[in-house]
Amino acid sequence: MNNSSTGSLPFIILIGAPNSGKTTLFNSLSGKNFKTVNYPGSTVEYHTAEISEKYNCKALILDSPGIISLAPNSPDEKVAVDSLYNHPKYGRPDLIILTVDASQISRHLLLAKELLDAGFRIVIALTMNDILQKKNLRIDIEKLSGLLGVKVVPVNGQTGEGLVSLISTIKQELRRAGDKNYAPTAKLDRTNYNNYLLETYKEIEKIKEEVVIPLTDKSKIEKANAYLNVINPVPENTLEKPDNLTLKIDRILLHKVWGLVIFFLIMGITFTSIFYVALPVMDLVNDFFSFLSSSALTYLGNTWYGNLVANGIIAGTGAVIVFVPQIFILFFILGFLEDTGYLARGAMLIDKPLSKLGLNGRSFVPMLSGFACAIPAIMAARTIRSRKERLLTIFIIPLMSCSARLPVYTLIIAYLTPKDKLWMGGIALGGIYLFSVISAVVIAGIVNKFSKTLIREESHSSFMLELPTYRKPKMKVILNNAYINSKMYLIKAGTVILILSIFLWFITFFPDSNPKINTSGLSESEIEVLVNSERLENSYAAKLGHLIQPMMTPIGMDWRVGVSLISAFAAREVFVSSLALIFKVTNTNSSLQNSLLTAMRNAKLPNGERLFTVATSIGIIIFFVFALQCISTLAISRQETGSWRIPMLQLFIYTSIAYILTFITVNGLRAFGIN
Amino acid sequence: MKKTAAELREGEKGIIEKIDFNNPCSKRIVEFGFTPGKEIEMVNESVFRDPVTFSIRGTLIAIRKNEAKSIILS
Repeated sequence: MNNSSTGSLPFIILIGAPNSGKTTLFNSLSGKNFKTVNYPGSTVEYHTAEISEKYNCKALILDSPGIISLAPNSPDEKVAVDSLYNHPKYGRPDLIILTVDASQISRHLLLAKELLDAGFRIVIALTMNDILQKKNLRIDIEKLSGLLGVKVVPVNGQTGEGLVSLISTIKQELRRAGDKNYAPTAKLDRTNYNNYLLETYKEIEKIKEEVVIPLTDKSKIEKANAYLNVINPVPENTLEKPDNLTLKIDRILLHKVWGLVIFFLIMGITFTSIFYVALPVMDLVNDFFSFLSSSALTYLGNTWYGNLVANGIIAGTGAVIVFVPQIFILFFILGFLEDTGYLARGAMLIDKPLSKLGLNGRSFVPMLSGFACAIPAIMAARTIRSRKERLLTIFIIPLMSCSARLPVYTLIIAYLTPKDKLWMGGIALGGIYLFSVISAVVIAGIVNKFSKTLIREESHSSFMLELPTYRKPKMKVILNNAYINSKMYLIKAGTVILILSIFLWFITFFPDSNPKINTSGLSESEIEVLVNSERLENSYAAKLGHLIQPMMTPIGMDWRVGVSLISAFAAREVFVSSLALIFKVTNTNSSLQNSLLTAMRNAKLPNGERLFTVATSIGIIIFFVFALQCISTLAISRQETGSWRIPMLQLFIYTSIAYILTFITVNGLRAFGIN
Repeated sequence: MKKTAAELREGEKGIIEKIDFNNPCSKRIVEFGFTPGKEIEMVNESVFRDPVTFSIRGTLIAIRKNEAKSIILS
């Protein structure tokens, strides 16, 4: 027994094909010490937990990603397969539990045969027996067990049926494991693997014919039939036919017209949920943290440490937590769609156009979510199984026009549209969205061309997917999954976002933390605004803004826009409030936006020209379409890709494109006399 | 040239004769259960005519037409 790194606990790995009921089984077996961990050195995730105390069986159980064979098809699968032989953290497993879908026995026994041929000690948990029963069939457990030479236990993860029997089998096997030297060494012979596959399938075919038998309650009919010398109905036909109801539903959901209508309807609901349903909750989070922040400021006073706590730590924590509602809702919907069986079908419907860009049908939901926010969107890319397509999707998500850009666009459009022609604003906004979609498509195509250098993955694109039988979703599993993903975000990306937020606070607050201003004749709120803008004007961020002035001049802007761009790294919408601060917008009589618009109209460059001309205003929009100015996006991209390489590339490439295109736009417009 | 699974129309059935192992996806295709002698039916075509869904071994598998070309029918 290998107990070196799991303490005194035996180590069990749970494996199985996708949709074989593996996760449901894991959830019903697992007890305390639930953990989500990465395989060392990769982004592949797995869950571990101790077997629930109520079963009185002390063992560590690991839920590994779904695989259909021991011959890995992607780097991610290779990690999962290799760890069966020797897990980097827990060593060799003492036992493997394999989930086999009874209604899919001829396909799922492939993995069983491969594991046995490789010398693993396994127990088969036979799932989905109810689906087989609906077809008036069952599996002869003893016969299957005898033919394979392993213990087979029928279970139902949802009702808990068979779990006790599974546990006692596990205990028996673990006892056996203790006294026998166990070493799976026979890795699959890859040179002759194709033949091996075909031969193995032939053997499985024979096994299947012997073990799939009609339900016992039909035995009377059988006996009668035998007596009358009538041949019993061959079970083969029903077993080989997909679920009838599923076929019927597919006729609508995959219909050439209705299928697409329903697809866009479902996607519309998904998008609306992360956009509008999450909004009130996000407002609540924001309100709560600004309340905490102002209370802290009152309590600690307007000192540097008071500001550190209020505007650095508390505001930074708020900036982390504000994404949780969106992440939770998106993963809840994704889990729901996956569990019912629709997600695979949606991916199939939309695969063709996306495949042209080197993407995959599963890229659609993450990309759509990107229009709300890149943070949940990049996380949603987990549902893409191929590593190359997942990285490519993550790479282009920051180009989707997220909701944080909206306040910036609104401000600039309000600045440009004449008061009597407000409808032009709507058209302009639509145009910006269309432009950003087209740009994203073009850039995705280019990134795909250079995928070898950019994302260091070149596996050819493929789409092979089982369309699972439609099922009633298991709410407990879905909620648990959404919870796990939200928690993971808080722990991993959350810390990075918090640290970067505090850093941004620092460079916008220091060194002139307590500026002297002439307060005579000013109201308290006016003093506060003036202090804040004076502080920002003398801050490190402003110094940085002055430093990049030579870069701002060619695009017709100055250090003040530069500072606002730097502050916008905390979140793009901060650009607006930062601009208001830097232009000392103190007018509290009319709305902030109107005062800011007036200030923008009066703003002059050092040479006396207007700062915000038509050309530079459009330039700002172009800049925001492309630039990756969002520390949270960088943090989540690092979390999901496993290193800083891709987020840094995204930052550099997108900001460069933004700068170059802004330069071309501003100077091009000027050349045409538009200023 | 023999007919491949990529040429099946909706509702049309065929028996797999062999798998073209020159196609890079062929190994995966066999792992999914497309083996010689099995009957398959093309049950659905995506709106954009690709990928296509086959009924095989009691389940539905969607693959791209490029991949379906490696399934040679008798």
